[in-house]
Amino acid sequence: MIAKLTHWLDERTSIRQVWEAIFLRKVPKVNWWFTLGSASLFLALNQGITGILLTLYYVPTPDHAYDSVQYITTQVPLGWLVRGLHHWGASLMIVVVVIHMLRVIIFGAYKFPREVTWFTGVILLLVVIGFGFTGYLLPWDQKSFWATTVGTRIAGTPPLIGDYLLRIIRGGSEITAVTLVRFFGVHVWVLPTLLILLIGIHLYLVIKNGISALPQRGK
Amino acid sequence: MGEPNQLSRRNFMQTAIWGIGGFIGLGYAVAAIAYVVKPSLKTQQTQTWMRIGPTSKVELGIPTLFSFNIETQTGWISNTQEVSVYILSNDGRTYIAMSNICTHLGCHIRWIDQQEQFACPCHNGVFDKLGNVVSGPPPRPLDRYDVKVENDQLYVLVGG
Repeated sequence: MIAKLTHWLDERTSIRQVWEAIFLRKVPKVNWWFTLGSASLFLALNQGITGILLTLYYVPTPDHAYDSVQYITTQVPLGWLVRGLHHWGASLMIVVVVIHMLRVIIFGAYKFPREVTWFTGVILLLVVIGFGFTGYLLPWDQKSFWATTVGTRIAGTPPLIGDYLLRIIRGGSEITAVTLVRFFGVHVWVLPTLLILLIGIHLYLVIKNGISALPQRGK
Repeated sequence: MGEPNQLSRRNFMQTAIWGIGGFIGLGYAVAAIAYVVKPSLKTQQTQTWMRIGPTSKVELGIPTLFSFNIETQTGWISNTQEVSVYILSNDGRTYIAMSNICTHLGCHIRWIDQQEQFACPCHNGVFDKLGNVVSGPPPRPLDRYDVKVENDQLYVLVGG
């Protein structure tokens, strides 16, 4: 039955070929450091699932942000788990993504023909940091408010454009409802769109070019 | 080397990946369902007798509208919600309390003096003085509240 269905689907979509290209492709003999990309992808999925669940209760206004987060954490069944996974997953994401990058640097995996994979990876790192920066404000507690005060001030330090930059990021001169909702919008719409696009390209190239083998002495 | 294994390394890994992956997926699914569904099924609050006003306000034989506020807790927001009931008494001793919410699709009904009927503006549901359906789409009579009188004050049982 299932074999028949997959055959039907395969005739129309070549799904088997796609599956084989993704999961049954030949890889060189590598080590555990090469699992960090998959680990990042898993963490990204975790952030996506738990993030979507959080938006079902979270309200990005100064009146409700803090209370709705407290409601998720203390009242909603397993809300503590969903928020906890998102919170710790976020920190872990930064750690794993950075180690992933270090591995690519140390093993020289960014070299020809994988430069474009590397470029998209660099932008992905910035996107992930952007997620961390915007997400930090959303609980709207003292820590997030002051962290964002400091963070946006840092963005305001470049000469000439600094003040404009600060105002654009904050949506005004102070951290207000406008700041909160634009951080939310960036966190749940802009960055996820970029992330999905870039992961798509990144993975396509990983599969297309194959992964690099371990560098060897004298080669 | 030599003899072929029953369970090859490849098959073992495959089974392990599907098994562990399935387990993790199930974990997310269970958490997500509990997280989405359970708070929605929570009932409003405990039942209480609300004092709604003096019996002297009720005109004999005519449904009289009483409005009162109840405290509600929805999510993280505490609010007051206005509830209205029609009180009818034909003898000044026994009282019935009817909800002003149409049993069809939840619009608010109104007592029309000239016709001596309740009418719902949404789909022309009509109820008689006692809340029975006269015409239109409502499937059942108006809901009733338990009502009691203490020291000439009317109380209705709300919540639950």
